[in-house]
Amino acid sequence: MKARIEAELPFYFGPGRELFGFYHPSAAVTGAAVLLCPPFGVEQIRCHRLYRQLAHGLAESGLPVLRFDYYGTGDSAGESRAFEWTRCLADVATAANELRNRTGGARLLAFGARLGANAALAAAQSARLDGVVTWDAITSGDALVRQYDRMQDALKVDLNRFEVARPELDVSTQWPGFERGEGLRAQLQALRLLDPGMASAWLSSAMTDEASRPLDHHVGRQVSVDVSPRWDDVDCLEMAILSHPLLDAAKRLLKEMA
Amino acid sequence: MHEQAFRFGSARHLVGVVGLPAVIDHGVGVIFLNAGMVYRVGPFRLHVDLSRRLNALGYPTLRFDLSTIGDSGASGQRLSRPEQVVADVSDAMELLKQQSGSTRFVLFGLCSGAQNAHSAAHADSRVVGACFLDGYGHRTFGQRVRHYLPRLLSLSTWRNRLLRRGGSASPRPAEPAFVVEPLPPKVVRAELADMLQRGLKLDFVYSGGVTRYFNHIRQFRECFGRLADHPGISASYFEETDHTYVLTGDRQRLLDHVAQWMGRHFPVTRPGT
Repeated sequence: MKARIEAELPFYFGPGRELFGFYHPSAAVTGAAVLLCPPFGVEQIRCHRLYRQLAHGLAESGLPVLRFDYYGTGDSAGESRAFEWTRCLADVATAANELRNRTGGARLLAFGARLGANAALAAAQSARLDGVVTWDAITSGDALVRQYDRMQDALKVDLNRFEVARPELDVSTQWPGFERGEGLRAQLQALRLLDPGMASAWLSSAMTDEASRPLDHHVGRQVSVDVSPRWDDVDCLEMAILSHPLLDAAKRLLKEMA
Repeated sequence: MHEQAFRFGSARHLVGVVGLPAVIDHGVGVIFLNAGMVYRVGPFRLHVDLSRRLNALGYPTLRFDLSTIGDSGASGQRLSRPEQVVADVSDAMELLKQQSGSTRFVLFGLCSGAQNAHSAAHADSRVVGACFLDGYGHRTFGQRVRHYLPRLLSLSTWRNRLLRRGGSASPRPAEPAFVVEPLPPKVVRAELADMLQRGLKLDFVYSGGVTRYFNHIRQFRECFGRLADHPGISASYFEETDHTYVLTGDRQRLLDHVAQWMGRHFPVTRPGT
């Protein structure tokens, strides 16, 4: 156990060393590696432990893993308001190259939750990915933007959190926990989920929200998992997501693809 | 950006990110402790924003995960949790010293992070200051009056209570149980007195999110008596904010407050940028 933790490596990478990464090597060699693409904003923080557990599990079963933070998120450089979709996709490709270099040219698979799934799918070609496992991928960018707006509105009058309701000025131009620009809003509104034309599997929570409702043509490859992350609930903003069924399903699908 | 990630500690079980100013003047370094189970970036990235703000002002920083939280593993030592926290913070100070030359440190902690910062500040002479967010405090007679009296007189409170009894209101979801057993008030006062005598600078910031135990700046004196008059201690009450500073404007105000407090008590002779 200690030897494995010793070998795990936090580091900065990419041009300008602006991206934070965490590499989990694997003792066994299977010829494949996994890139974990995080979700965005508060969802990234809520998923941190789950991603770490998934990385450990995959590395133990012979798949080296790279976790990383997009520019403007987590420990990576950039202010939170600097996060934007085009850069996010470029970061996926940069991280994929980093993982490929560290593993000596292994086949690359990716896992992503929510916008992390969309990022992996959208960057699959530029990042030269060989397969993607998604969890609650965003099927409607429009619905996601509406959801974030609704949550921010709910936050404003959340008397479990604030003694008195907050004025509009204090909460505008933000989504729960983070500042957002009009550019990002437009980018996410325009987001559509495209089938990557490659190996893909679609994990779906037992109770889906409006933004990640499964599409008809994914039904054949969709796996329902008994987990309720409640992505759209402001009462859950600080709640870490932990789920063994999700971890088991993600590991199984990635190992099948490898 | 001058940030570097490290695995460190007695068993190389800890993970953290050191942030350095462009010019280091060997002044104090600032160390961020986990807020509950949130990993080192802090609630809504608070620790990242604040550490970079302090780096720009000339202070070296380290945000890290305590044993078994975030990306850190177990130390393998047979220590109680409070002992492990003190040992981890000691390892963190050693790393920041190696990287920046700092030999004196300020600790920053929110919620259980404040309690852990209190323990480490009391135990280790290298700590010269601490910023406690929603840290120690206890309910007083005044707090109870301010909390219950308006509710007793409020018609809507009674109406809501009756509605809840009828089962029409949905309950809040259960929150993860991670509660640090607080020290008794008498022990807290004695340890704070010790720290002030050693010359530590202490800053208490309470938010409107903890009215269940703190709801007015006057309560600080009710809790800590004469200690409240000590020049090394200061207290603020950010009534409108919530416990985790979910709004960016509230976080900005907190950043301004901490930066000013640091500048007042630990001035940097050569600013970082």
